[in-house]
Amino acid sequence: MRIPHDRVTVFRPRVPIKSDLRNSRMPSVFRVKARQATQGDIERPVFLVRDICAERKSRAFFDLGCSNWDLGLNEMRSRFFTISVLTALIVLLGSMLVACGRQVAELPAVEMRVVKDDLGREVRLPVKVTRAVSLAPSITEMVFAAGAGDRLVGVTSYCDFPAAAKNVQKVGDTQSPNIEAIIAVRPEVILVSTASQLEAFASALEGQSAAVVVLDIRGLGDVADRLRRLGQIFGSGERAELAAIDFENRVAAVERRQKPERPVRVLLQISEADLFTIGRDSFITELIDRAGGRSVTADIPGGYPKLSKETALVLDPEVIILSDSPDNLKPNDALKNSAAVRSGRVYRVNADILSRPGPRLAEALEQLATLFRKEPTGN
Amino acid sequence: MKRANYIFLLLIAGLAAALAVAVSVGSESVSVFSPDEQGRAILLDIRIPRVLLGACVGASLALAGASLQALLRNPLAEPYLLGVSNGAALGTLLAFVLLGDVAGARPVMAFAGAAIATIAVYQMARSKAGMNVERLVLSGVIVTTFLSSVIVLLTSLLDAARLRGYTFWLLGDLSQATYNGFYLTLAAAVAGTILLTSQARALNLMMIGERDAFDHGVEIGRVRIIVFGMASVLVGTSVAASGSVGYVGLIVPHIVRLVVGSDNRLVVPMSAFAGAIFVVLADTVARTAIAPRELPVGAITALIGAPLFIFLLRRS
Repeated sequence: MRIPHDRVTVFRPRVPIKSDLRNSRMPSVFRVKARQATQGDIERPVFLVRDICAERKSRAFFDLGCSNWDLGLNEMRSRFFTISVLTALIVLLGSMLVACGRQVAELPAVEMRVVKDDLGREVRLPVKVTRAVSLAPSITEMVFAAGAGDRLVGVTSYCDFPAAAKNVQKVGDTQSPNIEAIIAVRPEVILVSTASQLEAFASALEGQSAAVVVLDIRGLGDVADRLRRLGQIFGSGERAELAAIDFENRVAAVERRQKPERPVRVLLQISEADLFTIGRDSFITELIDRAGGRSVTADIPGGYPKLSKETALVLDPEVIILSDSPDNLKPNDALKNSAAVRSGRVYRVNADILSRPGPRLAEALEQLATLFRKEPTGN
Repeated sequence: MKRANYIFLLLIAGLAAALAVAVSVGSESVSVFSPDEQGRAILLDIRIPRVLLGACVGASLALAGASLQALLRNPLAEPYLLGVSNGAALGTLLAFVLLGDVAGARPVMAFAGAAIATIAVYQMARSKAGMNVERLVLSGVIVTTFLSSVIVLLTSLLDAARLRGYTFWLLGDLSQATYNGFYLTLAAAVAGTILLTSQARALNLMMIGERDAFDHGVEIGRVRIIVFGMASVLVGTSVAASGSVGYVGLIVPHIVRLVVGSDNRLVVPMSAFAGAIFVVLADTVARTAIAPRELPVGAITALIGAPLFIFLLRRS
């Protein structure tokens, strides 16, 4: 059905014209009244689609059961031509400026999709993510475990596991990532963890073309789920699923071996001279629980409190775990008469597997469980 | 002089009371008079050395503050504000990085750092026209910020695990108290009290003016060396043991002066006692406020000291 030009009136757009220019794929709705001899006046929406690349040829198509592209064009031109040309020029200039600064012309329209991250934000990602930056060592480990390590184009200077992570471009450390270095590696996705307090940086990065995804892993229970999510993000679902299942199996195996005994009382010492330890909010507290122990500092508020030496002495742990680091080679002096020291149950555990909420938590859990079951060796 | 004697007695009683309170409270409750084995370990190994160290550190810093204020004729002279504490802190850090655990390296390096910072500030503040308040405070700020940035640089270059302890320590922290640290600061505090009080008469004259002091037979150069040297020793030993506890050297002598006037023969020794009381009580708060966690004592002294300082500034 064809409607003659002179019978169509175009009304003001309901959506301001700017909005459809900002995003070429969002149509703005016009309403068109078409006078029809047969059915009387009918009113239908019209979609105006502008292609940013071919802005001048603004075209309208018309949904009146017909597909007459030229319909109403004359009238539209008379009303919107000037505005269109002006805005088009501005947009063109603007995008040229942006393109110069960024060197990533989005001209070959990348297929996008929306993913929800751990802050509940909806993030638009390319369907196929090929360039990603990780801003936490735990996330780097997660990405490698999910089978997408080859997509990482930037990691922090702390990211040293697996070995391949050492060869990836460094873009600063967890607390102070170098925004310029991040932009320079042209990532499509930037993965940040709330654990490393990167929300502040997330806002600084938000203006860039890259999507910022917050991956907040709060402990053992989150690892498998986040591995699968990373599989979705990178399209490496199968390997991610395998890693997730492996992780779940290892955790389950540790828990199966658990005997229903009284949990051993454990103190985790983070540094010797300044007696830092884990508190209620640390995921390591849960890790110790699951491994068959009980953190003696589990009730202290905070994540990583500095413990009073007097309290440490009174807590009298049966096992002391030293997270391995140069300032943490032996238990604090206040613990020299504790049950743990007297019975020789003081063990060093790799600080990285303990402190990074990533796939190696399974390893940490296995080690802790083994250490907790070990018989006292000392005098 | 009668009134001064009473105040001395009061200060000694106050210090005894503060020590008693500090020893009897902590994150764990211990019976002081009949402690069990565990209680004895807490008292003897942890609490008492810490309380005693706090007293000596407080006395040292207050002594250094009181004598520097008199010598420089400047009410704002204070180890922390003049950059002397930061010099000592940098010295301690360097000792840790370069020499590791060599016994005695930290206090010596801390003393060297404090002395260098003192001399630097003094030289910068001096001009042909003499030394005025603004120049001294500005030089102090410059030296302090410069040294702070060097410290930040150094801690950034150290690995993360070492840095963690030092951020706490830099704020002033008594939790690593040992008897050895206590003996050293005690020796410095006692020597400082005697030596600086012996210079009090000269300091009184110098407060009127260096020329007047010279006319009255004061060997200005010698007094200067003694005060700067002793202040550096005092600050060096206390910073090596407990980091930079701020504001003690500023607040305590001012309060003492409010009570007894500005006669240094009284201000200097009384500041030592009052400083000890102040830090012992502040550390008691630091130990117990959020027990069983701990705060750095420097945070408490600054929390009390900064508003008190503004109050004093407005009064005068």
